[in-house]
This record gives sequence, structure tokens and C-alpha cells, in this order.
Amino acid sequence: MTERNKWEQSVEKTVKRFPERKDTFTTSSDIEVKRLYVDENTDQYEEKLGYPGAYPYTRGIQPTMYRSRFWTMRQYAGFGSAQETNKRFRYLLEQGQTGLSVAFDLPTQIGYDSDDIMAEGEVGKVGVAIDTLYDMEQLLDRIPLDKVSTSMTINAPASVLLCMYIAVGEKQGVPLEQLTGTIQNDILKEYIARGTYIFPPKPSMRLITNIFEYCQQNTPKFNTISISGYHIREAGSTAVQEVAFTIANGMAYVDAALKAGLDIDAFAPRLAFFFNAHNHFFEEVAKFRAARRIWAKIMKEHYKAKDAKSWKMRFHTQTGGSTLTAQQPDNNIVRVTLQALAAVMGGTQSLHTNSRDEALSLPTEDSARIALRTQQIIAHESGVADTIDPFAGSYYVEELTDKIEEAVNKYIERVNELGGAVKAIEEGFMQREIHHNAYETQKSIEKEEEIIVGLNKFKLDEEVNPDLLKVDEALEQAQKESVESIRKSRDQEKVHETLTVLKEQAKMDDVNLIPYILDAVKQYATIGEICNVLREEFGEYTGV
Amino acid sequence: MGKIRVLIAKPGLDGHDRGALVIAQALRDHGMEVIYTGLRQSPIQIAQAAIQEDVDVIGLSSLSGAHRTLFPKVIEALKERNAGDIPVVAGGVIPSEDIPYLIEKGINKIFTSGSSTDVLANYIKQLISPEAINVAPPKKIAHIGIAVQSIDQAISFYTDMLGLKLEGVEAVESEGVKVAFLKIGESRFELLEPLHESSTIQKFLNKKGEGIHHIALEVDNIEDRLTQYKQAGVKLINEEANTGAQSSQIAFIHPKVANGVLLELCQHDEGSES
Repeated sequence: MTERNKWEQSVEKTVKRFPERKDTFTTSSDIEVKRLYVDENTDQYEEKLGYPGAYPYTRGIQPTMYRSRFWTMRQYAGFGSAQETNKRFRYLLEQGQTGLSVAFDLPTQIGYDSDDIMAEGEVGKVGVAIDTLYDMEQLLDRIPLDKVSTSMTINAPASVLLCMYIAVGEKQGVPLEQLTGTIQNDILKEYIARGTYIFPPKPSMRLITNIFEYCQQNTPKFNTISISGYHIREAGSTAVQEVAFTIANGMAYVDAALKAGLDIDAFAPRLAFFFNAHNHFFEEVAKFRAARRIWAKIMKEHYKAKDAKSWKMRFHTQTGGSTLTAQQPDNNIVRVTLQALAAVMGGTQSLHTNSRDEALSLPTEDSARIALRTQQIIAHESGVADTIDPFAGSYYVEELTDKIEEAVNKYIERVNELGGAVKAIEEGFMQREIHHNAYETQKSIEKEEEIIVGLNKFKLDEEVNPDLLKVDEALEQAQKESVESIRKSRDQEKVHETLTVLKEQAKMDDVNLIPYILDAVKQYATIGEICNVLREEFGEYTGV
Repeated sequence: MGKIRVLIAKPGLDGHDRGALVIAQALRDHGMEVIYTGLRQSPIQIAQAAIQEDVDVIGLSSLSGAHRTLFPKVIEALKERNAGDIPVVAGGVIPSEDIPYLIEKGINKIFTSGSSTDVLANYIKQLISPEAINVAPPKKIAHIGIAVQSIDQAISFYTDMLGLKLEGVEAVESEGVKVAFLKIGESRFELLEPLHESSTIQKFLNKKGEGIHHIALEVDNIEDRLTQYKQAGVKLINEEANTGAQSSQIAFIHPKVANGVLLELCQHDEGSES
């Protein structure tokens, strides 16, 4: 059977489960839009591109792509208290958003309670403050966890938040195997670019593999990690570095899980990725296509994974925050549109579009709605989703895809020569490469070699100050009081007991800690208490 | 004097240090010694580091929204340690409405997203040694520009009633005007008549009617002066000098800078009568 026949068969199977959006797709002039356009005369077609949903997945990971279902429109949101964020979530769901994405405040992300001295000034600022299971119950109030998938941007204390989510699911009566969502859980990029680390690499990698194992057995539909290039790019990397360092990190997680004795085809299908989309439209499209092909080859050829699900790189995309300007903020809507289009042309599984005011503050409700509408317009009005991977076969895009693959592989080789991603990070290699490029970018903007509209060209004399979202300063005090009252109302002895057990288990390298963290969470132990127990055992990472 | 010493610090829990790192590097390229604290510093740690390292200036960066709480705490911590004289500048994601509050709390200046590193470096240089921007004061008022509908109609008052001497009339195509110079002491009146509808003088007349349009200052080294102004963030209408009347080099400074007065810098060549 030819590859083409195989693809046609897989289409038949897919449309039974996910029928295509229309019986026939046409243009305004009644020209039929085919599912796929192919030039099978080129020798390298199958080797380099393959069919949609087939190795090496250059053209996408599903046989019908957006002909059946659009990408998931998943807007990252969260600020202030759990109750307030819950309101924004339910608003976004009413507006047609199809998945949730939770932003946590920095104390939560670094495992401090809201009343910790280190949390001062940060409570509820960049996301929602979660101290105990109580806050998580408020956050997910009246949101059916068997229907809505939730992505949580949480890394160092991912195990704690995952356990809180599971505990809420249990309270809602949702069977664990039906819980769907993603935890970011990618500590390596925190060391490289994002900064919300707690523990040193070794115990951090242990917690991550513990999660892989626990989820495989208990919450099989949960994505256990979202290996993220997003923040690497935001920190100033090139597109090639973004993909290279992300994949190098991905390989480090695979190595750690294999070393812990897990079977590759048991955990690899639940690995997810997270990329950025910047302004250079064609480079971005090519980047996504190249990334899929590189990962597929690594999983199949290097790690010898047998299950095709292990070869597929599924990824979320967010438009580039660092490309937005504080000047003339409405211009950002246009930037976001271009970037979102590139992500869709690159075959993303889900997408967050940034709001126009993010260089100034967290988005207002109006700005967040425009950002979502941008995706909806691309999906429903532009017709770009009606055929699969329309840029395939473009001389330019195919060459860019090949060139990116080549350059990424070179970087991965260099990281391997340094002893893998963990060693390269400890040595500061990736950080230096990124910083170098960030500085060069700044210089070229200041020299006006790189034009940023409204910033170094086409400036306005008078900038209009838009209305911004403000987080109530009183919130910090209220949250401090709330965690204090939870501490008073819970069963102190049980909290103490579960934390003591957790501490004992943490001493033993081969124990999976997730069930013990879950026990502590259910007793309303705070995130700070749990992380402090682990800090005592694991120590803290203090940077390169 | 020795190198300017700068402490770049990240107060609070924010992990976004791209800006802090880029600025540290840029200030080093400007010949300063820069100490970077790394992430997650408390206000007290920052004040202690500044004193220990004996820095001339502190730069704070925050993108997490904690600036309203944390920046003033750094100032307080410095004062408590008798180091309130160390100037503090700051940047990051800072809404413009928060800036007056932070200035009131003792931050010297806020550089928001999109600021240039050259402007920052020159600001620090000037802050530490104000003589760093080295410009001689303008020599005299070169002329006072007066916008008129018609030179022919206006001129008689100046020549006949005031008895001033008309030096000459010429068209300055670059500015879209015809000008008449009338000598008065060491200075002049410059009557300006628009040459066409899109001339800035025509726009001025449409908006405000006849009257004083600008004051011109005679300077040396106009290009150097413009470069320094540009680096110091002085808002300019012309970032480079153009050729004006009598083959002078001219450039306008934005009226916002000088309390609503449009100032022109002009430099006449050696030997030319001025």
C-alpha cells in the first residue's frame, strides 16, 4: 500500500470520530478547496514531508488537521484572587474559548505562601494566588473538569498544583482518567530563561519523572509536561535557538525518565511542547514544521520509540510578548494577528493570542476579548484552515524548513558535546547564547537597522494612555488573612503527619512522591509548607 | 574620576531579566562598572549590596507589577543605612500612571519599555557628573521669528516707524518660507511669509494668526550639541541640522522642552556676517 493510500485510510478513520467542518470547502468563486495539495513527483516528498498525521509529521500531526477541528483557543489568564479569576474563566468560556489556561502569581510559582516575607508586593500580580486546596476549589468553582481541559503554567511546584487539581476533580466526582489538561512542569527552561526555580536540577528532575509515572497510571489524559521554547525566545533567542534548546531539554527529560526505568512509549505520548510565534512570518511557519520533523526523527531513530504517538510533537503556541510595544498599543493587535496566522500555518494544536496592552500591564477584559476574536476571525473568516499545510512545496518555506532543521541539529550536537542540556545549563552555555542575541537585537533596534513601527519609526508625539487593568492592592492583605484562617480551621495533626511522611519519603531517591504530596494537599497543607519540607531535603538552586 | 559604578538589581520574585542583562551589558559598553545582583533580591539585600559595592547609582528592574511596593522599599532601606544619597533609576513594565508616585517616593527616573540604552547611559553620566554634557551657553539671540501673511505689507512698520534696516529678503525652500531680516542691535527680527499652503508657517498662521513664531539662538558646534541633546533625551524637531537662511545651519527644538516656546538653534559659518 502506498503512503498516499495509508493517509487516505487514516482520513476515513479520523472523520468518523471528528467529521470535517463542512461537506465541501470552496472559495467565494466556487473553486473547490482540497484537503491536501501534493507534488508527489519530487523524490524526497515522503522522506521530508510525509502525509499529514504520518511520519515525519512535517505537514502536521493529524490526518485532517483543521478541516475537522480548529486548534484549541486557549487564553492564559489569572490575576488577583481565585474568585476573581474564576469569574474571568467563566466569562472566557461563555465567549467561546475552548480550554482554560491558568496564570499563577509568582509566590505560588516559587512555592511561597502569600504571607511569606518573600511574597511581599507580588501576591496576585501576574496571576492568581493559590495557597491551599481551598483556593483551588474557588478557582475551579462551577467549571466541569470532565469537560474543560486546563493548562497550568506551573513548574517548580507543579506536583503540588497537579495534586490540588486532582483533589478538586475528586470532589467534583470526575473519574481521574477523565481529567484532561497540561502542567508546564518544565524546570530546565526556568534555569535558562524564566527564573521560577526552587530546587537544584537533580531533585527537580526526580519530581518531573515522578509526575510522568504517576500520571501514566492515574491520569492518562493529562499532559505531564509542556517543554517550552516560549520563554527562551522571550529572553532573546533566535528561532533556531528556541527550537534547539527546547528539543535539547526534551531529550534531557526523556533521558531522565528512561534512567528512572520508565518505558519510552509509556510516557512519551504525553509530552507536549510550547513555542513562541514572532513576526518573521515565513521563518515562524518553517520553524514549526522543522521542529515536528526533528522531534519525530529523534524519537524514532535515536530513542527507538515504537508507538507513533511517541513520535508526534504536539505543541501549544503563544504569540510573542516581547514583540509588543508600549507605544501605540493598538498596533499590537496587528502583530498578534500575523503571529497567530504563522502559528496556524505551522499547525499548532492550541493557541494563546496576546492582548494589545501586555507591554503595559495585565490585559483588560476588552483587550483579552479582542485577542480571542483575532483567533476566531482567522479560524472562521480567513479560510486558511480549510486545507492542510498550505505552504508545503513553497520553494522558500521548504528551504527555510530544511535550513532550520540543519542549524537546530548543529546546536543539539553542541549541547550533547557539553554533556546534555542539564550540564549545558549548569555551565551557562544556553544563557550566554541567548543573552548575546538579546543584546545584538537591542543594538540593532537602537541603530534603527531593525524597524519597530511606533517605537523607532512612525512615532507619535503624544501617546494616548489606555485604560489598564489594576490589581487591587488590598488583595494581598485579604489573601494573607485567608491563608491564616485556613491554617486555623484544618486538622493540624493530620497536616503535620502528612508533611512528616513526605519529608521521610523525600530522603529516598526511588520513591514516587506524588501520592504523599496529594495526601498533604488534601489536608489543606499550604504550598509553602509542602515546598519548605522539600527545600529542607533538596536544597535550593541559586543560579549559575 | 574613576569609572561609574552601577548596581543592577531585580527586586522581588520576577524572573524576567532580559532587560536587566541587556542594560548591564550596555552600561559596560559605555565604560561603567556594573554589578548585577541576580534574581529575587529583597529591598534590604539590594541596599546592602549597593553600600558594600560602593556604587554611584542603582538600577531596578521589575516586570511583575510589584514595583509600587518594592521600589519605595529600596529607597527606605537606603535611607535607613544613611545611603539615601545614592540615586535610583528604574525600569520594566511600569504603567505611566504609577510614575509620579514612584518619583515622589524618591526614584530619580523611570525608563519604560522602548527606552534606548544610550539615553539611559547618558542620563546616568549626567546624574553622576553633571558637567558630562558639555555645551557652552548660546552666544546671543540670533533672531526673533515673526510669522506674517505678507512681508510686503508688514515691512513698512519695521522700516519706517521703527527705523530698522532691512538687510535682505530670501526664500528658504527647505522650510517653505520667504524671510526678511531686520537688524536690531546684535540681533534681528526675521519676518516669515509662507511660500505655499503646506508650509509650517502657513499652518501656524491658520492656527494662531500672525505673531511670534520662534526664537533663534546662536550656537557653536550645532551637530555636537544635537547629538548630546538626542542622547540626553531632549525632544527635537530636527535631529540633524538643515540649511537655513544666510547659509546657516539650523535645527528646531520641540516647544514642549522650553515651556511652549519654539527654539531654533542656528550656527553661522565663520566669517559670515552675523
